[in-house]
Amino acid sequence: MKIAHIILVSFFSILILFSITTFINYQQYGLVNENAERLERSTLIVRNSNRFQRNFLNMVSGLRGYLLTNETSFLQTYDSAVVENKHILSELTTLVPEGSDQKIILDDIRELQKYWVSEFATPLLEAKRNADISEKENQAFHKLYREKLLNKLEKDVQASLQRKFSDFTNYEYGHRISDRENLAHTVQNTKSISFYLTTISVILGTGIAIFIAHYISTRIVRMVKMANEIAGGNYAVYMQEKGNSELSQLTRALNNMASILGSHIAVLKRQKDEVDQFAHIVSHDLKAPLRGIDNVVTWIEEDHSFDLPPKVNEYLKVIKGRIVRAENLLKGILMYARAGREAPDREVVDVNEVLAEIRGDLGTYTGIALEIQKPMPTLFTQRVPLVQVFSNLIVNAFKYHDKKNGAVTISWREEGEYYHFFVSDNGPGIPELYHQKIFAIFQTLQERDTLESVGVGLAIVKKILDDRQLFVSVTSEPGKGATFSFTWPKHEEHETSNPHPAYRR
Amino acid sequence: MKRVIHILLIEDDTLDQMEVKRTLERRNILHRLTILTNGEEAIQMIENTDEDIEKPDIILLDLNMPKRNGFEVLASLRANDRWKDVKVFVLTTSDEVSDKHAAQLHGISGFITKPLKLESPSSLDAFNLMIDLMNI
Repeated sequence: MKIAHIILVSFFSILILFSITTFINYQQYGLVNENAERLERSTLIVRNSNRFQRNFLNMVSGLRGYLLTNETSFLQTYDSAVVENKHILSELTTLVPEGSDQKIILDDIRELQKYWVSEFATPLLEAKRNADISEKENQAFHKLYREKLLNKLEKDVQASLQRKFSDFTNYEYGHRISDRENLAHTVQNTKSISFYLTTISVILGTGIAIFIAHYISTRIVRMVKMANEIAGGNYAVYMQEKGNSELSQLTRALNNMASILGSHIAVLKRQKDEVDQFAHIVSHDLKAPLRGIDNVVTWIEEDHSFDLPPKVNEYLKVIKGRIVRAENLLKGILMYARAGREAPDREVVDVNEVLAEIRGDLGTYTGIALEIQKPMPTLFTQRVPLVQVFSNLIVNAFKYHDKKNGAVTISWREEGEYYHFFVSDNGPGIPELYHQKIFAIFQTLQERDTLESVGVGLAIVKKILDDRQLFVSVTSEPGKGATFSFTWPKHEEHETSNPHPAYRR
Repeated sequence: MKRVIHILLIEDDTLDQMEVKRTLERRNILHRLTILTNGEEAIQMIENTDEDIEKPDIILLDLNMPKRNGFEVLASLRANDRWKDVKVFVLTTSDEVSDKHAAQLHGISGFITKPLKLESPSSLDAFNLMIDLMNI
């Protein structure tokens, strides 16, 4: 599975879980709201029902007061209570939901009140109003009064109304309690569901995050290790990887790269070995015929020089000179091919001793002083290549010196893990045009006849330093001299263990 | 009274043959020279049981030859009762160090380093030794 897919799937699962939590909480909010509304309505209903009850009592007392005292103030109380109760009833009708138990009770209440008004209040009030007209009417009123009010039916109607009210309010109170309990239950449920869903989301999210982080990190660490191995020259590294993720693909690409790199490097190494071997064989096999020619010329000189015209003897000398040059060129090829091929052990090398040795071999050059900055440092490295670099640079400085009394100076300075060595002379100098060219094999800046030189000295220096990824450079002011400088590690683990940062091929 | 030395030269390079001939002449050595140009001819001669074939006093042997090389000739010599005591000098060039070591194992009498320059004493040391041996 691809990492992008894992991340997407986990992101969406967490998103879905959180959406469910939010949805449940939203629903809960609706429920709480609804409950609050219901509570408010129920409070209104109870308050209205209480007012209605009070008004009804007012109606009863107003009616009785008027009938007994004939005071119109009682009649006013009765009238206003009737009007108010009419409002309250219509309000209650809108508050009580249609088809509910409460609605039935409310209808009963309405009917009972209506019955009380039409059956008792209205006829009595009518009779009372007429009572002043005549005695007969007065007697009729008293008769009706006794008939209606002292009768048990009116009391039953009142009691029944009271009971209905009590049922009505009790029903509301009872409903309120069950509503509250329901709400508390739902709130608790929602709380638990929210808690579980959130916990699952957090655990899932954390788990996936840890998994992805671990998955990516281990693979990257392994790949960094592998890349370092490859950089260190080990191309046989391989990382087992079966997955289908982007990192698995990268791993396989890295495996592929290492194997391709390995095979190419192997081919390059083989070609380099072949070239070296070729140089070795060519120079060796060319020597034999050259020696043959030299032999024959020697025989002619030894056995027949007196019989020959002087011109032929002169030509023979030219041939001999050319044979020497060819031999030197072959020697040069051999030396170049051999340079750096042997890998002697590292040892402690005292540059003071190295230079003393080279000075001893310089016997043939006179008039030029070798000045050495004392003391020279001591290194841990392969001795032979370092000696060869110093020797070739110093011999060149002497060989090409053009002044009767000249000097070649060796100096050094420390540069971090390296020593930087300088071989300076006050000879003819080298024009800048040739600063690159002089390091190529068989390049000489003088005519071969003026000074027998093969042109491998600097090429060998360059080859030795290139193999170690170190750098050599030349600065020169024509006519005043030249300075060759190179770096060498203080402590060399293996041949390419200390590539110099300034190394440019 | 000097006797005539019979020398068998086994060498494929005509220039090297000329060189040996010339050196012997210039040093006024009384000699008779038989030349074989490859190892195969030499081995055939050694393995021939014909009593008429004259055994040389000394063999000058080149190591690098076509068909059968000098080492095979040496092995054949040492395995042959009639020839095993013949003194052998190996002709080499100065840089064939490993060949010299290998040849020494076959119990040879010495090396003659090519080229045989008269003015170069080192190359003639063995040659002188050879002649001294013959003159006893």
